[in-house]
Amino acid sequence: MEEKEIHSDVLVIGAGLAGIEASLLLSSSDRKVHLVEKTSYTGGTVIKFEEVFSNMECSTCMVSPRQQELLQDKNINLLTLSEVEEVKGSLGNFTVKINKKARYVDLQNCIGCNACFEPCPVSLKNEFEEGLSERKAIYTPCAGALPNVPMIDTEHCLRFNGKECTACQEACMFEAIDFNQKDEQLKLNVEAIIAATGFTLFDSKQIPKYGYGKIDDVYSAFEFERLYASNGPTEGKLRLKNGKTPKSAAIIHCVGRDQKGYCSSVCCLYSLKFNHYLKSKIPEMEIDEFYTDLCIPGKSHQKFYEKMKETGTNLIRFQDINVDKQGEGITVTYTNGGKKSSRTVDMVILSPAIEPRADSSKLAKILGISHDDYGFFKEEDPDVSSVTTSKPGVFIAGCAQGPKNIQDSVSQASAAVGKILSQSGDK
Amino acid sequence: MSKSKETSTIKTAVLPAKSGTKKAILDFLKNAMDKKNFDAVIIPMRVPAGDSFVYVLIKDVSLLKDAFPLSPVMSVQGARVVSSVTRLGKGDMKIAAVMRPCEIRATIELAKFGQVDLENVTLISMDCPGVMPISDFLSDPEKGMKLFDDAVTSWDDSIMRPVCKICDKSSMIAGDIHIGTLGAKKDTFFMIPKTQKGNDTLEKSDIKIDADLDEWHNKVTTLSEEKKKKRNSANKDLKVKTGGIDNLIDTFSQCINCHNCMKVCPICFCRLCYFDSENVKHSAENYLQIAENKGSIRFLPDTILFQTGRMMHMSVSCVSCGSCEDACPASIPVGQIFSMIADETQKAFDYVSGRDINEPTPLVAYKKDELHEMEDAHD
Amino acid sequence: MERKIGVYICECGPNISEKIDIDKVIDAVSLPEDVAVVKRYKLLCSVDGKKFLEDEIKKQGLTHLVIAACSPKQHEKTFMEVCENAGINPYLYQLANIREQCAWVTDDKDEATKKAIRLVKAAIRRVRYHFPLEKKEIACNPDVLVIGGGVAGLEASLQLASSDRRVYLVEKTSSLGGMVDNFEKTFPNMQPGSNLIKQKILDVNKNENIKVFTDSIVEELLGFFGSFEVKVKAKEQDAFVEFDVGAVVLATGSSFFDPKQTPQYGYGTLDNVFTAIEFEKMNKSGKISLKNGKTPKNVAIVHCVGRNEKGYCSQICCMYSLKFARYLKEKIPDVNVFHFYSDMCIPGKSQQKFYDQTKGKHINFIRSSNIEVTKKGDNVQINYSDEDGKANNLPANMVILSPAITPTSDSSQLAELAGISQDDSGFFAEEHEKLNPISTSTEGIYIVGSAQGPKDIPDTLIQAEAATGKILSSLVPGRKIEPEVKVAHISESFCIGCKNCMSVCSYGTITFDEEKKVCVVNEVICRGCGNCVAACPSGAATLKHFTFKQLYQEILEAV
Repeated sequence: MEEKEIHSDVLVIGAGLAGIEASLLLSSSDRKVHLVEKTSYTGGTVIKFEEVFSNMECSTCMVSPRQQELLQDKNINLLTLSEVEEVKGSLGNFTVKINKKARYVDLQNCIGCNACFEPCPVSLKNEFEEGLSERKAIYTPCAGALPNVPMIDTEHCLRFNGKECTACQEACMFEAIDFNQKDEQLKLNVEAIIAATGFTLFDSKQIPKYGYGKIDDVYSAFEFERLYASNGPTEGKLRLKNGKTPKSAAIIHCVGRDQKGYCSSVCCLYSLKFNHYLKSKIPEMEIDEFYTDLCIPGKSHQKFYEKMKETGTNLIRFQDINVDKQGEGITVTYTNGGKKSSRTVDMVILSPAIEPRADSSKLAKILGISHDDYGFFKEEDPDVSSVTTSKPGVFIAGCAQGPKNIQDSVSQASAAVGKILSQSGDK
Repeated sequence: MSKSKETSTIKTAVLPAKSGTKKAILDFLKNAMDKKNFDAVIIPMRVPAGDSFVYVLIKDVSLLKDAFPLSPVMSVQGARVVSSVTRLGKGDMKIAAVMRPCEIRATIELAKFGQVDLENVTLISMDCPGVMPISDFLSDPEKGMKLFDDAVTSWDDSIMRPVCKICDKSSMIAGDIHIGTLGAKKDTFFMIPKTQKGNDTLEKSDIKIDADLDEWHNKVTTLSEEKKKKRNSANKDLKVKTGGIDNLIDTFSQCINCHNCMKVCPICFCRLCYFDSENVKHSAENYLQIAENKGSIRFLPDTILFQTGRMMHMSVSCVSCGSCEDACPASIPVGQIFSMIADETQKAFDYVSGRDINEPTPLVAYKKDELHEMEDAHD
Repeated sequence: MERKIGVYICECGPNISEKIDIDKVIDAVSLPEDVAVVKRYKLLCSVDGKKFLEDEIKKQGLTHLVIAACSPKQHEKTFMEVCENAGINPYLYQLANIREQCAWVTDDKDEATKKAIRLVKAAIRRVRYHFPLEKKEIACNPDVLVIGGGVAGLEASLQLASSDRRVYLVEKTSSLGGMVDNFEKTFPNMQPGSNLIKQKILDVNKNENIKVFTDSIVEELLGFFGSFEVKVKAKEQDAFVEFDVGAVVLATGSSFFDPKQTPQYGYGTLDNVFTAIEFEKMNKSGKISLKNGKTPKNVAIVHCVGRNEKGYCSQICCMYSLKFARYLKEKIPDVNVFHFYSDMCIPGKSQQKFYDQTKGKHINFIRSSNIEVTKKGDNVQINYSDEDGKANNLPANMVILSPAITPTSDSSQLAELAGISQDDSGFFAEEHEKLNPISTSTEGIYIVGSAQGPKDIPDTLIQAEAATGKILSSLVPGRKIEPEVKVAHISESFCIGCKNCMSVCSYGTITFDEEKKVCVVNEVICRGCGNCVAACPSGAATLKHFTFKQLYQEILEAV
């Protein structure tokens, strides 16, 4: 039997918090890591948040030292704008095909001065900012995104749609913009794979009674995060769509819970965080938190809840709830224990369920692993380990495996690394 | 501090003082030494020349009779004495230190900094009428002695140091035993134990601790409240006079950079004061640069830096003893100023220096929930 | 050797060159005698730029380097490498940020130039007082001590043990297995708990790289990451077993709140009121019965016992209470189960299904508060306030209390032994709640499982595996550990032994020398945070590369 070539590189898919943790840990044990990230930036979802519960630590301050470490780490080959197309082979010897889209901006030459944005004639809604502000066809998703190098959105760029335009290139003093870059097909040989592709939020439009997408000032969680963010579309100013300062708000938990069939474990906590967000900017604001069961597990979270309660917020249990426009305001009608009541507020924030990304089943197929009934990557045997899949050598970590908080995502990433390192040790 | 709650549960001993309190205290000490409860006593004594008083560590019990528990001047702050003796270790001897409340408090602060080992030391304080400014006493020691004796009898502080006149803690029980003379019936005085050590010391001398403290407590509370009013008023005036950078510069313009105030301060225990170190000595280049930037530079430079720097370092432990003011050759009211600021810095942290040996100093105590008034508001 | 400072100002394209008059800066900073050369360059961080710097250093014979460019966050390391390659100590260099701190935030060119001059001059002044600092390397011991032979400790041991790494597993009771051994089944898959444990115990005992000590405790733990000295003592014996390890995993588990502290539940006073663990044991024995031997018909399960007293939600009790309902139904098909709860806490993708599938005809959920258990004849009565606050009661034969998870009674001793802290609830404190939940402030000591906080078995296993990841990646046999270079130092002559520094050091770095009566910094453990330097009243404590003189010179110029 011929000797199988054994490689020691590891492929990590997803450069969110779990992916970053796994990559840094692998690198410190001298493994080479190929970190494949679909977007142009690292940090995943967490960098959308201004603060994280329960100590209200600045989210970007928390993450950016790790992002910096990642960018400067010689063992980590960061491949942004890349996706995994094909995986063949088995533990110790996977052959992976990566499709690396061209950024059209040179990562070495670009110094992140942003001079190329202004002259670009194309403006469109910024997805990172949840459509609340605009970006150009050449852009970085937000101030402070790392790597601090823009990309060209070829779908909307004039030049890539046949028009003559070199506005960005002319503005660049470092010859960093290269329209001749091409998409690449990379082939990597790796020992193991960690899929840490994160999550998205349930689309509240699917439940019309919340009025999302119909009523102004009904926001989904990510939108509200960006409104509050100091590097967001309003630089942190909380204003209604008509420009006025809101005096009251309703935060509705468990949006989509019945549809998804599970509790997303972090929403009660981040909803309480939203309470802090609102009170810190507008101390006189009246806030109603609508919840079904309060889920605040963990040794430090109840204290957080008590502190939030002290700010004067009303905690209202509900079984059924409806959101309607009523004149200038928004009326939230709810039932609790058979009784029907209503509150009128200026704005509504919805806390939707965590769900797998739309392309996660495609990735599962490519990796040769299965997904569970909810679409999350499936662990082989939850009583044995929640990071190993039915395919030896392919591990899962973070919210791609199931809804969880940052702490648990990071632990899973370390655990996946632990599995890889201890398996190799026995060879 | 709810004194009435404290003292209503504390019991005291009442001792006879037929030949005067001074003799009674010395008798107690002699007794205790004879019984081997103490091996030595730290207590003030008049110098042979008669014109001053110093602390003496007495081993020979026969010399006790010449001691002065309540001396008219404080030549050396008592805490420095206890620190000298025990800084490098407690030693085998059991020592009683008889000092003013502010000296006891400073000793306790020093214990928190590892500069004093209290294990074999029993701290005995007493109701303090104040001490005279050294220069006043030295100008005519005999007259000074008479004035002081009268002041003790009438409990009148008009001849005392400026900081003593506004001291509201002159009867603070900070050590192991406190000698209470105020409110005591004629020819008696109180010995009030605060700690277990204090209790044991009295019991070993066969002294019963079974009397009530109300008389002393009421007198002390009344006096303390009066003093407090005086203090607040004096501080307010002083703040106006010395507040703001210009007034501060004016106030310290006579400073001759001798650093005496730091040298005599019990809380300034650093081996090499920061402000004597290389860190504040600069090159010619640097000085010339400053002269260029500002037009001129006064020498020796950094007077205010020294004063405020020292204040920053020791203010939360300052006991308002006034030794610094006694030592200042330029007659700057430095003791009053430091004392006024110490009140504010200690108040900000809810801290009283020397109040409790188990109370950590603000520098090393972290409380999550404090000083909210210092936080920036969100915009 | 004569000091020769080279100053290089980066144009950073238009970023700096358009906002600052670089030539003016060059003129202004060239004056001092020891500034050998001042030049400008288009882009210093580029490959060409770095080569240029290296050549300059060698050609000019520079001893110190000052770069005026962007933020240290961006390129401090870059130019440190340039120094190393060119043969000068990488700490004899200072980076002045004239981009983010000047060009990017000052519109007026004159003002920006003035500020840039000050920043560069400040850097020059500072660098004069820099000392060359050397990297240290220490050999490390790759072996690991695991304290606690429950599911977390077993898992960690199995993952860590290999041909080049021994694991020492110390268990205080006489058998391995811990808490999980008591569970007939585990949620949510209702697999036998013993399955999990028995195989792991077999594997651990078989593994020749794992040495197991039962009936033993760790008496002493000294040293630091890479080099811990351990003393283990068996209960019956007097002698210690001593060995060295590089890292320690604390997997000492947790305990339960004692419901005797909340007499309203009738625990200890009324018959047939059981705690969760008592019920697990009863269930495992095969028969669920009342004290008088009869089979219960109505069983009440009370959630959140001790929650108010402890102040946190223990995360797993709702789930195991549901598991209990299933146990009951399996063994007593027509039993009525009543859950008294306040909020149903079932986070996670599999938990709600478990709940939905547990609900049934005879399994009732009563949202309630103010619960009191009283005697009613031969049985008990649950008195409670319902959702609307109305008083109500329900008769029952048996009551199962689901108490809060608490730290073990010896957790304070363990924390002191290991030199780590406990949080407000008494669990071991992690280094960072979100990014470092299993590390502690003492490098090399990891906390896993319910010793770190209440959690279920899958999360416990994950933490044990995560500790493996951390240890395997940092304690590599043969590899040296490079401790922090910019560490604190306490001058023996100026230290007065006040121990302020010890009070503020979070890492246990500073020890007190009883003989000399001074404090000493362990440079291997020191992380260079500078707390001790700030707290030292006499200035005896200094931080390498951030000495008072260095900072003062910089500030003097900049301000």
